[in-house]
Amino acid sequence: MTLVSIIGFVLIIVGLWGMLTQNNIIKIIIGFSIIDTGIHLLIVSIGYIKGKTAPIIDSVLLKTDAVNQVVDPIPSALVLTAIVIGLAVTALMLVYAVNLYQRKQSLDINDFEELKW
Amino acid sequence: MVNPLYLFIIALGTGFLLSLIDKLYRSVSLILFYATLTAMLGIAGQWLVEIMRGMEAVVIYTAGFQAPYSINLRLGMEEAVFVFLANLVGLLSAIYLFNKFRHSKVNAMVLFLMMILGINGLIMTRDMFNLFVFMEITSIATYALIGINRNTESLSAGFKYIIAGGIASSFFLIGTIYLYRLTGTLNIDSMIASKELIAGNAGFIALFLALSAIVIELKPFPANGWALDVYQAVDSGVVAVIATASSAAMFFVIYKLMPLLNITMLDLLAGIGGITFVFSNLVGLKQKNAKRLLGYSSIAQMGLVLTALSLVMKGSCGIPPKNLLIIVVGGLFLNHFLAKAGLFWLAGLFKEQDTDKWSVIRRNPLLLFIFGSFIFALVGLPPFPGFWAKWELILYLAKSGQHFWIFTILLGSFLEAIYLIRWLISVVKDTVEQEVVLSFQKILPPVLFMIGLYNAGFLMIINYYSFNPLFFAPLMVAAFFFGIDWLPTKFKGIFTIAVIGAFAYHVVPQLDGIYQIFAVLFLGGGLIQLIATLQASGKRTGFYPFVIMMFLSLGILLKSETTLQFFYAWELMTVSSFLLILRGGKARNHSLLYILFSLAGAYFILTGFAYAFAAAGDINILSITNITAYSSVIYTFFLVGFLIKTGALGLHIWLPGSYAESEDDVSPLISSILSKAGIFGMMLVAGIFGKSLFGKIEISAALGWLGAITALIGTLMAIFQEDIKKLLAYSSMGQLGYMVLSVAMLSHLGWISALYMSFNHLFFKALLFIAIAGVISRTGTRNMCEMGGLIKRMPYSFISVLIAIIALSGVPPLSGFGSKWLLYTAGIERGWYLQTAVAFFASTIAFLYCYRLIHTIFLGQPKPKFKEIKEASLWYLIPQYILIMAIMAISMFPNLIIEPLAAAVNNYFSTTIDWNGYTVISSLGYWNGNAVMYVTMGVFALPLIILILTQRRPQLVKQFNIVFAAERPDRPETTHVANNFFAPYQKALGFLAYPYATRFWSAVSEWTQTVASLFRQIYTGNGQTYALHIILYVVVLYFISGGR
Amino acid sequence: MVKRFLILLVLVFFVIMLLPLVSDIQPQTELNPLAKKYVKDGPDELGSANLVTSVIVTYRGLDTLGEVAVLFIATAGVGFMLRRRKGSKTNPQKKRESSEILQTGTALLTPLIFLFGIYIFLHGHLTPGGGFQGGVVIASAILLSMLSFPQSEINHKILNAIESLSGVLYLVIGILGIYLAAGFLDNRILPLGDFGRLFSAGAIPVIYSLIGLKVGSELVGILDSMQRSDS
Repeated sequence: MTLVSIIGFVLIIVGLWGMLTQNNIIKIIIGFSIIDTGIHLLIVSIGYIKGKTAPIIDSVLLKTDAVNQVVDPIPSALVLTAIVIGLAVTALMLVYAVNLYQRKQSLDINDFEELKW
Repeated sequence: MVNPLYLFIIALGTGFLLSLIDKLYRSVSLILFYATLTAMLGIAGQWLVEIMRGMEAVVIYTAGFQAPYSINLRLGMEEAVFVFLANLVGLLSAIYLFNKFRHSKVNAMVLFLMMILGINGLIMTRDMFNLFVFMEITSIATYALIGINRNTESLSAGFKYIIAGGIASSFFLIGTIYLYRLTGTLNIDSMIASKELIAGNAGFIALFLALSAIVIELKPFPANGWALDVYQAVDSGVVAVIATASSAAMFFVIYKLMPLLNITMLDLLAGIGGITFVFSNLVGLKQKNAKRLLGYSSIAQMGLVLTALSLVMKGSCGIPPKNLLIIVVGGLFLNHFLAKAGLFWLAGLFKEQDTDKWSVIRRNPLLLFIFGSFIFALVGLPPFPGFWAKWELILYLAKSGQHFWIFTILLGSFLEAIYLIRWLISVVKDTVEQEVVLSFQKILPPVLFMIGLYNAGFLMIINYYSFNPLFFAPLMVAAFFFGIDWLPTKFKGIFTIAVIGAFAYHVVPQLDGIYQIFAVLFLGGGLIQLIATLQASGKRTGFYPFVIMMFLSLGILLKSETTLQFFYAWELMTVSSFLLILRGGKARNHSLLYILFSLAGAYFILTGFAYAFAAAGDINILSITNITAYSSVIYTFFLVGFLIKTGALGLHIWLPGSYAESEDDVSPLISSILSKAGIFGMMLVAGIFGKSLFGKIEISAALGWLGAITALIGTLMAIFQEDIKKLLAYSSMGQLGYMVLSVAMLSHLGWISALYMSFNHLFFKALLFIAIAGVISRTGTRNMCEMGGLIKRMPYSFISVLIAIIALSGVPPLSGFGSKWLLYTAGIERGWYLQTAVAFFASTIAFLYCYRLIHTIFLGQPKPKFKEIKEASLWYLIPQYILIMAIMAISMFPNLIIEPLAAAVNNYFSTTIDWNGYTVISSLGYWNGNAVMYVTMGVFALPLIILILTQRRPQLVKQFNIVFAAERPDRPETTHVANNFFAPYQKALGFLAYPYATRFWSAVSEWTQTVASLFRQIYTGNGQTYALHIILYVVVLYFISGGR
Repeated sequence: MVKRFLILLVLVFFVIMLLPLVSDIQPQTELNPLAKKYVKDGPDELGSANLVTSVIVTYRGLDTLGEVAVLFIATAGVGFMLRRRKGSKTNPQKKRESSEILQTGTALLTPLIFLFGIYIFLHGHLTPGGGFQGGVVIASAILLSMLSFPQSEINHKILNAIESLSGVLYLVIGILGIYLAAGFLDNRILPLGDFGRLFSAGAIPVIYSLIGLKVGSELVGILDSMQRSDS
């Protein structure tokens, strides 16, 4: 339990709240991005070990001692992928927003209920 | 062998290059695109073949390190099958979309390739995070492809999809990262190895989140509104991939994660699947848009597959028997996969997506055949894989005692059958014109998948069930007859008779006991009646294939040695007879009722077999003998199933319409032959259960009462009919009631009586229906009060009807007397006085309608318009006179038939009758057919002679020398004596004929529809609400599971 | 209001559900065995000083390939779904010429940003950074010039060629891994070189350069589609 992970969870909930309560499609997309950010924080917080440094070997951090000095490199690698994927999804969402706006000149999610039942 | 990594490499490489190449030539990029998809299919196919040949599963490591240090892929049996299917549907959908790809931006091809690539990755990867990456590849490519049709519907559906997908992938990511935190690995196999690390609360939630993400991608009810919109709005070629390959990949992910799950989660998954299966199908009942309907069906089917997998896994502690997994899960999945993709492709041919606007299919035999095959596959009829899967699944559930699941799965299947078959009927019967553009590339994919479905089904039979080649006959011969369906009807008819004759010649001698008796009844009776079908002219497309299928399946029903064979034959018989009934002009609703009741009956029979299997340990029919546990429950299931076929009271509402509205020469086949399958079934199980049942008086007694009352009510209903065929139909219902009564007696004489009545009913009812068919063919009406005085014009038909009603009513001298004598004797001997009295009463009032048949049609005033009418066609008369001869023969020489019947029944009961020449002697008296005949003839001849002698000048009365009063009634037909003929009796007995059963069943139907409308209110169409549904769903699931 | 309350309620339960993830999990104090193996053996096995890079490019190389694919799909998807505005040159009045300060600043900065981006992806195995980061930096340079020279057209042929070829080359290097080294995407097809030098860590710098080019051109593609879409 770290502060970062709590912040991550808070961001996720805030994002969900935004996604579920805001009618504007752009705001929904922003909500989604906030969720994403929260998750990224979670991922990073998972790999973090208090008081340790980045897993990059240089003149200060020696190969032989690295095991005891560095944080987990795997979550750092994962978060990069997660960020890129989040970016891709957000881009597509925005493109959808543009397309939807072109159809109805509206960004209200309640205006797009053609299909039901 | 090509490294499976090349599946990714070539897809990506082509994807990267396509836009560059497209700048030069579109044709080159198209060729490259299709070549890549083909190559991917080739790689997948090559691995599939190798692995089928027995190659071990391979694990492919990347980056030169073993797992868990690097990401690895696995390609085993399951993966190979799924990868192959995914690439297959990918290539075919791409072919289907050829025109779209040719004319839209190159990006469409790129996205399509990437979607297929993602699906391949989802199936093969063994790394949790890599799974996430491939999930996103698939999803993002799909999101973008949804825009291939740029209408508002698909765009808003796509946005809803993104929101749902976004939430799901967020959950998956959170789950995955915590799984990593707890297990220290991302490799699924390592996680499984260190399963105890996630046994805690946090571990449960992490796994639960990851799992729920995949569950959401499988569109569980009710968190699936977004998916339905996608199914409805998006281009068919794309949806075919989403509904099949993408769902399959997600399903496979669950399969992969299954070893990680504990019992709670397996239960949860089974519940999710079950609820989805039942409720999606329920809501589907109200759906009129074809693609959305297919969406409901897809979601439901995936739910079923999920349930099946979870139950099988749960019951076998994670290591299920391989065959069970392949047949049940593989069968259900393959069935859905092929049929659904095919149907979505078909949907793309139409502009209008209303389910009742597809009738254009009817005019194209190929399309109709494809469509029908897909529908029947989804309903789970043989020979399709779904049939075998459902059979094994229900048997497995019965064996492991999961009674509730049997009910759930059969209920869901039934609901699905309702809307699918309703759709099929609508296609066949409605006439709505709509343009349909057929092109080779749009027809090829569904055709291939249809062939695949048949092949898969047959392969399952060959691989897992060693069926006698004879059991392929109904389908093979029907297929052959489809092939020659362009020939004239006379030729096909004669050929059909010849084939059935040869079949009978082959099969009958192989049988013995009641099997042989029924073989003679089914096949012999059929041969005679089929002569009447020769009267038709033209081609009569789609008639003989089903006729022959029906008769051959009746034949193999008798040959069945295992309960599975019996059920297989039973279902084939049901579907072929349904298609025959459907041919009738006004049979629309009646055929729906028929198939639905038949299916429900089949489900009862299936359940009975399943519990019999659970109790006896194998599926040999004769093993049922050994059952001691629950025998009365099992017996009751069978009885309900068979009683539906015989149209017992309360379950009969399908019967009158189906018998009456079939084509005129089909009605005799259905009523006189097919209904006996129910009697056969009852005797089969009652005989096999044998001694263990004799103690269970209450079931037999109830059955006896049901039979007696059915006889009474059927007869009563027959009296009040105006429609001649309805009259005969109700009469059949009553007659079958007698048979049920006598079967229920479980005594030697009772069973002889049942068999005797079966034959007698076969003869006279066929005779009546064929004679009436002849009359209808000339008069063009079925209303009795419009006929009259036909005796002069149609004397041969008159004689037939006269003989038939004498045989029916049970007066001496004809065979009907024998049957009633046997029935009453058996009833009294059994001590069932009251039931016998009811039967006696019923058979007395049967005179009323018998009288009417003669009086209203043949006697009385001829209508002017029928003055020049001709006798019925010779093709109608030939079978009639053969039947008359049969009646005469068994009337004169009852031992001709009673002796073999008694011999057959001797296998089950010790004999109670004796013979003296032609005289049958029972404990209560004797019956000598000859003597009765002579006495009766004497009784009629004597007065005739006396009259001729005493009346000096007999005068011939002309039909029209009647004086009318000078009054002209407004509605002349009401003055006809035949109109509302039995109104006086209605006052006395009408309350008994009140359609309680019909009212009950329509109430059930309305209530179901209301519930369905209620449930579909949740699909508001709002993307945000759908997002809330998803989160709510996950939260509720979590709290239902109770954590851990 | 009812709806909001309902949402609040659902989220409250959602939080309750997630609580054990916060409460039951203690912060790590030590690397798990997998990470230990990466940290201990990584430098010698793969020759990359940045251990995150060795995880990204080699150990979990398939993820990275997938990641590149995702970005590629997003580019294709954005391009697919956005209609090009017809004849953007015909209505120039919509866009105002940017100020001279901006223009001059851009002209000065763009090459430097470019250089910085290239530096980042070339040194991905030595310093924090890598292909994705470098690519994004490069794309930001283009974004800057798009903003300051709205009329300018990007040469799509070159962009396309860079994108396609860098992707294909990345794949080719991956395939070479199968035949020259131990597996797909193995970076040891080139000598590992001296640890900590620019030309070390086998194919990692090459892969990262290609990724950098690809990511950069893809992001530029997205920006370009969005800028020129008809809305």
